[in-house]
Amino acid sequence: MSWIDTPIIEKLGEYLDLAAFRQTLIASNLANVDTPGYRTRDINFEDEMQRAEGRASSDAAPPRAFEVAGLMERPDGNNVSLDRESMLLARTQLQFRLGVELLRQEFQSLSTAIKEGS
Amino acid sequence: MNLLGVLEISGSALTAERQRAEVLASNLANAQTTQTAKGGPYQRQLVIFGTRKADSSTFASAFAGFSDRYAQGVEVKRVLPDPTPPVQRFEPAHPDADSQGYVAYPAVNPIEEMVNLMGAARSYELNVAAVQATKNMISQSFQILS
Repeated sequence: MSWIDTPIIEKLGEYLDLAAFRQTLIASNLANVDTPGYRTRDINFEDEMQRAEGRASSDAAPPRAFEVAGLMERPDGNNVSLDRESMLLARTQLQFRLGVELLRQEFQSLSTAIKEGS
Repeated sequence: MNLLGVLEISGSALTAERQRAEVLASNLANAQTTQTAKGGPYQRQLVIFGTRKADSSTFASAFAGFSDRYAQGVEVKRVLPDPTPPVQRFEPAHPDADSQGYVAYPAVNPIEEMVNLMGAARSYELNVAAVQATKNMISQSFQILS
């Protein structure tokens, strides 16, 4: 960790990575809405965030995706729920935006410190 | 774990749904076709979808090191002819009528094809929404720099 990487910046980086990863899964689920036998996959955002906190930043183990249980299955074995995925899509977008805004604030205050508050 | 690869996934779905719509349109267009190059009436075609691993040869995915095992796009695996036998209609005056006066018409139900076509159009829209969302996220990430 160099002097410019504050703990908050590192954490926000993890947060944005996780949001981007979830976006990958949502896009996969939506792309396979008509694929017979496809199962919805997701991550547990809170668990992954806690897992990221406990490890060194160099150890980049990918988040664990699992098949979501308890969704209604269609006769062709596909269990993608449009409502669930659309809701998550909106939510992940907002989470990402929040992360970006906070990161921007953090960099701005660093920049203010560099310019001696002027 | 990157957003450029996510566009690839949604893009694969746009391609697959468009191909499905093309086949459905062809089924609809040929609902009354009694003469084909193979001989006999037109055979209804069925589209089979399957998952596809993210393509590592494209620029976006190679550029971003996209080797995520969770990224699954979709593709048209096969287009199969429907084995349902043709519908026999009694039309003795028709040039394609057999000795008993029956003409073999394709086993295409226009209502069923229309419903499937609407499904394909909706799925296409859905994936366009996913592309928009990902695009927004990418352009927001540029704002970190500003």
